[in-house]
Amino acid sequence: MTVHIAPALTTASPAVVVTNLRRAYGKRIVIENLNLRIERGEFVVLLGESGCGKTTLLRALAGLDPIDGGRIVAPRRPAVVFQEHRLLPWDSLWRNVSLGLQAPDARQRAAAALSEVGLSERLDDWPRNLSGGQAQRVALARALVQEPELLLLDEPFAALDALTRIRMHALVRELVAVHRPGVLLVTHDVDEAITLADRILVMREGRIAFEHRTRTDGTAPITRAELLVELGVVAPSLINA
Amino acid sequence: MSNLEQTVSSVALDPHREDNSTLSQKVPFEISRRVLQLLSWLAPVVLVIVWEAMAQGGFVSPQILPAPSKVIKTAFKLTTTGSLLNDLVVSLARAAAGFAIGGTVGFVLGTLVGFSRVAEAAIDRSVQMIRAIPFLAAMPLVIVWLGVGEAEKIFLVALGVTFPIYINTTLGIRQVDPKLLELGRVQGLSTLELIRRIILPGALPSILTGVRYALATAWLALVVAETIGAQSGIGFLAMDAREFLRTDVVVLTIVIYALIGVAADGIARFLERRLLAWHPNYGAAR
Repeated sequence: MTVHIAPALTTASPAVVVTNLRRAYGKRIVIENLNLRIERGEFVVLLGESGCGKTTLLRALAGLDPIDGGRIVAPRRPAVVFQEHRLLPWDSLWRNVSLGLQAPDARQRAAAALSEVGLSERLDDWPRNLSGGQAQRVALARALVQEPELLLLDEPFAALDALTRIRMHALVRELVAVHRPGVLLVTHDVDEAITLADRILVMREGRIAFEHRTRTDGTAPITRAELLVELGVVAPSLINA
Repeated sequence: MSNLEQTVSSVALDPHREDNSTLSQKVPFEISRRVLQLLSWLAPVVLVIVWEAMAQGGFVSPQILPAPSKVIKTAFKLTTTGSLLNDLVVSLARAAAGFAIGGTVGFVLGTLVGFSRVAEAAIDRSVQMIRAIPFLAAMPLVIVWLGVGEAEKIFLVALGVTFPIYINTTLGIRQVDPKLLELGRVQGLSTLELIRRIILPGALPSILTGVRYALATAWLALVVAETIGAQSGIGFLAMDAREFLRTDVVVLTIVIYALIGVAADGIARFLERRLLAWHPNYGAAR
């Protein structure tokens, strides 16, 4: 296993600590010397252009890919929501939500999780009868029913229409406030980052190149334009002008 | 579809047309579908009636083709004297035994090869080579090995069943969405749970397709096996009847084989509807 699972010592222990992470595909280095600490209840959004290594980082944290150096220490196995809902088409919604849940009251827990995402009536329904937004809500319920200390979101709203996405943002914020996992959301969407994040990270060439705390430090909120500069989409001169 | 919409909209735009004309365009479409359905059942019924009339009228010798009514009478007579039911049970038991053995072997080998590249390297080429032999061509050899008893017949059925199950099981397991397997790992499933919750359900549509093919080959194998050296069974009944020029019995056995084939296909389709209720292409409407 690449993710070190250490028992939680105190309530103040972080959701995950990454030290000197290195990841390479052959000779091509994708992540180098990356350090990251996410507290429980903290919402971290990771931005970066395609190929900057952000999905690689998420997959390493999820334990899906091996790492080539450094350490990842997490108290428990993280939960993941992917860009696609990845519901099992042959299982009812509650069976999907309780997948991997080792508990005698799995159905009740799944029911509770489904009602949290507003689908309490659909316990025995099939995934094929859901809209894209509903399916993604079930995927969210499936992640949260595990009571994770770290929740990894890999562009989970990218395939949704704009209105559904806004509703999902509100729902995710609510759920994170209740369950208080540490969250790492990977996205391309600058507005999404500003809306959701306690802390925004911008990744460039395998490192965290920029970091901004949005809510706790009392400074002026970061603007869309400033983030676009950090992402290399807009030249700095355009803002100053 | 778009053609239809175009016609409808052009009709609607045409001020000289009356609304009725669009209605009368739709109605014959619905009627003709019902008529076609009726026709599809009517045709075989008419065929049987013509056959009966020809036989009754003496246009066809009963030695060549007995009347349907005669075949039904024979069926009734053979059932009451007891030999037909017994032969039917014997044939079904052979098919079931052969299917169980061949199905198990095909499923186990298919599962091994589906999961393991090592197993594929070790097994697949040999299986494919044996599969290339028309299994009925192996019959003389099988008779030399096993004689002309039950074992030979069950073996032939099993041989015919093994390959469709094997191929479709392997294919089904290979086609399981790797993204769902990844999800299983993320959710912390053990290997056994991964197989039970994700791999087997994912492979099931393909496996059931294999079952349908296998049922067809099982019958084919049984017919051939029973025509050689059988002492009981439907095939024996047919061969015995041939000796005595009892074409009514021969036709009866052919009809029975056909009916059982239809029934087997029905069972396979029932299984698909039940087990694949989740699947948009198989499942019954909610």
